[in-house]
Amino acid sequence: MGSSLAEKLIEELNCETVFTIHLGSFEIPVMESVVVTWIVMAVLILIAIFLTRDLKTQNISKRQAFAELIYEKLTGIVGGMLGEEGKIYTGYLTTVLLYIGLSNIIGLFGFKSPTKDLNVTAALALMSIVLVEFAGIYQNGVKKWLHKFTEPVAIVTPFNILDVFTRPLSLCMRLFGNVLGAFVIMELLKIVCPPVIPAVFSLYFDLFDGLLQAYVFVFLTSLYIKEAVE
Amino acid sequence: MNTLIAIGAGIAVVTGLGAGIGIGIATGKACEGIARQPEAEGKIQKNLILGCALAEATAIYGFVIALMIIVMLQ
Repeated sequence: MGSSLAEKLIEELNCETVFTIHLGSFEIPVMESVVVTWIVMAVLILIAIFLTRDLKTQNISKRQAFAELIYEKLTGIVGGMLGEEGKIYTGYLTTVLLYIGLSNIIGLFGFKSPTKDLNVTAALALMSIVLVEFAGIYQNGVKKWLHKFTEPVAIVTPFNILDVFTRPLSLCMRLFGNVLGAFVIMELLKIVCPPVIPAVFSLYFDLFDGLLQAYVFVFLTSLYIKEAVE
Repeated sequence: MNTLIAIGAGIAVVTGLGAGIGIGIATGKACEGIARQPEAEGKIQKNLILGCALAEATAIYGFVIALMIIVMLQ
């Protein structure tokens, strides 16, 4: 049992190549996580198109009311975290929230979560830190942005510079570790007590924890942005 | 060799100890705060989730390291 579990873990850690695109002499391997990301994108785009068809200003349909409810709630949550000055980044962060949320719970439908691939979470974290630094420069200008590294006292400058690298690392590892950890625990439970108990735990680990991690990722990114733009 | 790998992975997972204590203290204090000021529940909850996520990260690092020890050294 032990060795088979280890093999399964290694198999899950390695992201498989689904197919390869040939471009002249170049070969672009397309990973499983990319294909599942396409599925996530397709689902989100189809829902968006379905919900936003023929919008009206008066006598709105139930569908439009539902779409407005979702929009108001999501932008309310994300905008509230960003504060007044960072409001322009609401759109991006809401998209990331929807994407990570759906990616984490898509494991329930038999797909491999894209967030279980370290490359995906690393890319998300990199995008976050680039946005954070860009927001700081855009809001305050290069001079003040550089000066912020020496605040509150000059001696913490190395730590502030280190922060630029540790923040994306911790964002990336947190998301990856949580999703993978939940997955490993679920696999162990399925081996130890098969019939009913995994279903109950799946509610917590797959649904609740997945959505919570998406929230935490967006929350931390917005916290950094808020700090950068003030 | 396998025994050593298992012991190393086990030691790495001990990081969960700190995260458990930290989240326990944070939740206890949050409950006290809510009992004292029920109207501040929303704000307290938000900060509690953030604190728990940060505290939990250490346990996650331990878990990732343990997994890497098992997978890489085999």
